[in-house]
Amino acid sequence: MKIFGLHLYQAVVAILAISMIYQGFVRYIRRESSQTILKFLVRLVIWGGMITVTLFPDVTNWFAKVIGLQGNINAVILTGFLFVFLIIFKLLSSIERLEKQVSILTRQDALENINGENNNSKK
Amino acid sequence: MIEQIESKKTFIIVPAFNEEKIIGEVINEIRSSGFSDIIVIDDGSMDDTYIEAGKKGARSFRHKINRGKGAAVKTGIEAAKKLKAHIAVTMDGDGQHNPADIEKMIELLENGYDVILGTRLKNPTGMPFYKIIANKIGNFFTWLMYGLWVTDSQSGFRAFSKKALRLIDTKTDRYEYDSEVIREIRRNKLKYAEIPIEVRYTTYSMGKKNKQGFVNGLRTVYNIIWDLIA
Repeated sequence: MKIFGLHLYQAVVAILAISMIYQGFVRYIRRESSQTILKFLVRLVIWGGMITVTLFPDVTNWFAKVIGLQGNINAVILTGFLFVFLIIFKLLSSIERLEKQVSILTRQDALENINGENNNSKK
Repeated sequence: MIEQIESKKTFIIVPAFNEEKIIGEVINEIRSSGFSDIIVIDDGSMDDTYIEAGKKGARSFRHKINRGKGAAVKTGIEAAKKLKAHIAVTMDGDGQHNPADIEKMIELLENGYDVILGTRLKNPTGMPFYKIIANKIGNFFTWLMYGLWVTDSQSGFRAFSKKALRLIDTKTDRYEYDSEVIREIRRNKLKYAEIPIEVRYTTYSMGKKNKQGFVNGLRTVYNIIWDLIA
């Protein structure tokens, strides 16, 4: 099955990668403190690389030659690998976000009564 | 000099995890160096660190669960900001830093610097060889990721001006916090200086399991890289 001349897996990977790059771009434009230009560029290279390999698979032949390997990439393995990679990426992102939220809550709790009775000092 | 410094409302922030045996001594030593505003952040200890710090007169705050050194220091800095600090100094809770070095740091802040970084590498006497190597690797990754070369990117002994306290915004919870501060210095164009500090590697401090060892060092590098990608 083809969509706009692309195989299904190509369309899916392209949409996912564009959406990840877009999210990073929006965060950078909004000047979120956690989103530096370097971070955005790393995101661009990783997800941009995925789009390139997916839309122009011949690049892998050139890459295989450069690193000294021969042979094509099995489409099923590639798709599976991308799928697993995506899940791991999202899971780790979610865990990271939750960890940060837990830290913020823990901090708020610790400092709840900073000028009052929660302070353990026996001065 | 100390009286003048004290009038600037200086807070000494000590993150502590399972340090009941030594935290009282650390607080006494800081106080003997002329600093009475001491904030101890008990980072979810399973022992009586919080109670011991309170007994010694420090303002102690408790994380109900362990969140890591970076999170504890950030809590201390938030506390200092709420208490209207002009200067905040962070130092480890295991007694390896010498509070006698604080005064030198504050003098530099008084001379217009925003951040003073204590560095072990300018005077590595007594520092184990593997720690020197691990430190250099940490410095390299910090430079690679954040673009600022410092001689001790993993030191916990640092002093911050009011301006630095306002501008520095860290997100990480564990040991990568130390490198994140370096990133913030560069991002906010803060004026910084490095000064040699004395570090006392005692049997107690070397025996602690949660220190920045080789495995934790790898984890720190992984976290720095992950923070860039995610």
